[in-house]
Amino acid sequence: MKRQLKANLPLLISGCIIGILIVVSLYLLRPPAPEPGIDLVNIPFYQLPFGPDENGAERPFWPSRLQTDNGRLVDPSKIQSAATCATCHQKEFDEWAPSLHAIAGRDTVYERAVEANENLHRDGIERARFCEGCHAPGEVLAGRTNRFKSVMPSDAETEGISCVMCHTATHADPLEGNGALTLAVNTGVDQLSNPMILAAPRDHARAFGAAKTNALIASADFCGGCHTENYDQSMSKATTRQHVQSTFVEWRDSWYAQNDITCQDCHMAPDPASYVRQIRDGDIRKPERYAHNFVGANYLMFDTSLGSNLTWLRGGILPGLTKEQNTRLIEKQGTATSALLRAAAGLALKGSHVTDNRLVFDIAVQNLGAGHNLPTGVIDQKYMWLEIVVSDADGSVIYHSGSFDTERGQTDPDAVIWREDFRDSAGNRIPDHLTFITAEITHLRKGVPPKGEDIVTYDVALSGDNTGPYQITARLWYRVATQEFIFNTLKTDLIVPPFELVSATFSLPADKKARP
Amino acid sequence: MFKKPVLLTAALASCLAISGNAFATDDAEIRGLENVKQFTLDHNERLISQAGLLENAVSAYADIIASHDGNYAAAWQAKGPVLAGQIQNIRTLWLEASNQYETIEGIVAGIPETAKYDLILDAGNPGTENEDIAQYDLTLPDGTVLSRPGNLFHGITEPLFWGMEESHIKLVADLNDDGKQAPGEMLFDANLGLGAAQALTHWAKKLHSDMSVWKPNRDDAFTSVVTMTPTVGDYFGEWKESQFITGEVGAFVAQSRLADVQGIMGGCKKMYFNAISPVVSADNPDLDSRIKSGFEELLSLVEDTYAREKSGEKFGIEEADALGNEAQDIADRIVAMILQAAAQNKVNIRG
Repeated sequence: MKRQLKANLPLLISGCIIGILIVVSLYLLRPPAPEPGIDLVNIPFYQLPFGPDENGAERPFWPSRLQTDNGRLVDPSKIQSAATCATCHQKEFDEWAPSLHAIAGRDTVYERAVEANENLHRDGIERARFCEGCHAPGEVLAGRTNRFKSVMPSDAETEGISCVMCHTATHADPLEGNGALTLAVNTGVDQLSNPMILAAPRDHARAFGAAKTNALIASADFCGGCHTENYDQSMSKATTRQHVQSTFVEWRDSWYAQNDITCQDCHMAPDPASYVRQIRDGDIRKPERYAHNFVGANYLMFDTSLGSNLTWLRGGILPGLTKEQNTRLIEKQGTATSALLRAAAGLALKGSHVTDNRLVFDIAVQNLGAGHNLPTGVIDQKYMWLEIVVSDADGSVIYHSGSFDTERGQTDPDAVIWREDFRDSAGNRIPDHLTFITAEITHLRKGVPPKGEDIVTYDVALSGDNTGPYQITARLWYRVATQEFIFNTLKTDLIVPPFELVSATFSLPADKKARP
Repeated sequence: MFKKPVLLTAALASCLAISGNAFATDDAEIRGLENVKQFTLDHNERLISQAGLLENAVSAYADIIASHDGNYAAAWQAKGPVLAGQIQNIRTLWLEASNQYETIEGIVAGIPETAKYDLILDAGNPGTENEDIAQYDLTLPDGTVLSRPGNLFHGITEPLFWGMEESHIKLVADLNDDGKQAPGEMLFDANLGLGAAQALTHWAKKLHSDMSVWKPNRDDAFTSVVTMTPTVGDYFGEWKESQFITGEVGAFVAQSRLADVQGIMGGCKKMYFNAISPVVSADNPDLDSRIKSGFEELLSLVEDTYAREKSGEKFGIEEADALGNEAQDIADRIVAMILQAAAQNKVNIRG
């Protein structure tokens, strides 16, 4: 036996060496793995009306600053749909599904506003990459924001800011904004089937939970990639950079940033309103977990009293949801949205004096709970105003400012309003969010900064019949769209109701002192 | 093994077979291209017809204003309900005319000989802009000439008829008599309205005149189908939305468009089968087959849904949403495949 082994050993070793050499050779000679993603030249009829960058490189997603990590477009069939992720991550899906992120690219108000902008230019659809980069990144990255859509559609592109659009991020530029995010949607994903994910969960976690990505998406920088919006010549008529949305900078310069309270802490807390009140009470511990609801301020998109009109406004029902599930999740998120809005603001009487024929008083509008300005975002549509009613000892109303006409959907034009205005090249106000012809942004009144206040002085004329004590009723209202915008873009009679953020009543004695 | 005459005969026979096939393809394509042109002209004629109805409606409105010496308040006082009805009618006719144009918009914009009409009718800027200017002046009934005022559909008539442009609102009025004056409830400038409506008819006819001498080629055929087919998705999308919208909210959008979808889709299918399929199938029969299946599937979905609607069936939100999304998805897939075929055949898509 031993002798036989000894005799055959050289042959055996030779065989092993040859086998290893063959395996190594095959490995070395194997054809290189194809680069993930789609090359621009393989997307027929893709329009590039804005030309290359300063280095001569093509800019397929411009004027959005969105990019993929390897510079290639995405194969839409390879983008995982959120409905697929729900197979295992049902809880996260149920949190995300009613959110504004989920309907960012499909809600009817947004869609119509984009169409109105697209109609302003012959290359309007390509210019709308600016909008879609943040609202429908899957569509832009797949090359479907194009006059001629030669790329096949997929469920994932209708899902707005879906799971993979965050969980593949590798870089963000929150000061540049306009979608300045780099996503590893081509290289940072797995293509494992569900059984394979179960068999090798670590591969799946490595793909979607890379340390760099996890750190980035937990930061405010990541949110700033889209929640910073500047208009320039690449998408508007602005000749100098116009700051349209400064939410990130508002936060960065605030007490919240100094205390490491991030966007995610409030907007992804399981109960955002409770968390905001916790912060207001001085307890700045992080939430016990982060939910995927992204609760924000758009109460209209959760107003179930609108019935099927709400389904229309939200652009239908998301893939993976039934009507009943949809309604249940929206109702839940609507409750959280209202509670968060009510946790944001306060009103205080800062001073007053009564003379023979004048009542002068100062109302402070306070930002108590928002880590950014109040209101924030693109506030040409979202706006806030103060309603003041003063009555005398007889209960007669002697002054009323800031009323809301519920029949016409109009706010008192003389009210104190926090809003920005888009203006065209001739300086005229553009009421319906036409970004592509906007040349300048002006403010009626800038938003109230975090933990700050804006004091408004009222000077009310008194007649000889008016006697104190006087009562001041103050209401701070918020509305997500102007009536002109709704009518012009949707061509409907829908009246967008305002939301009362906070109200307060102050009594002023007949003498010169005021008492809140 | 083979004798020379046999080889020659075989070679000759194969040559004849190839050229015969090519002739057959060309012949089918030529017939198909004629269909493309006829389809476009048909829709252009419908546009002229709709624009004429719109012009008549605006003319009737202007007559009432004129009979009160241009005093809008007096006209409203005397003929309020009539004027309100006329404005509602004008808006409906405007939507119909606009939809007719949108059906052929891609072709009009894509053909160099007719591209200027797209700017005048639908997409051009006023002369104050630097690019894509609608090159025409608008003469109004009172003799005023507006120099390069912008496109007629979205630039002038839409904001005018819906009261979106404050400077053209002559009187705020309670059109629907509900005791309130919501946005859009107003009397518009009749002089501008009539001039613009007349111009719509005029330029729609001019378009038809130039379109009549157009000789479509293969590029035009592909362009036609890839620009028209997505409008089917849009129409079906409108139908889907019309199933959601209730109450006053959908006053101007809730219109069933399934009849339009069926007509346009039938036209697109015919154009593809006649003019494009011979080209695509020559090199890629599998792709051709998938495109044809797509058309069959979409038309079948439309016909079935339309038949159900006509029989009085009401659709639930979930089903309407699913049907609308399915139609959009099929239309998108068809277009993507035709564009891929166009690229394979080095076709130039214009527009």
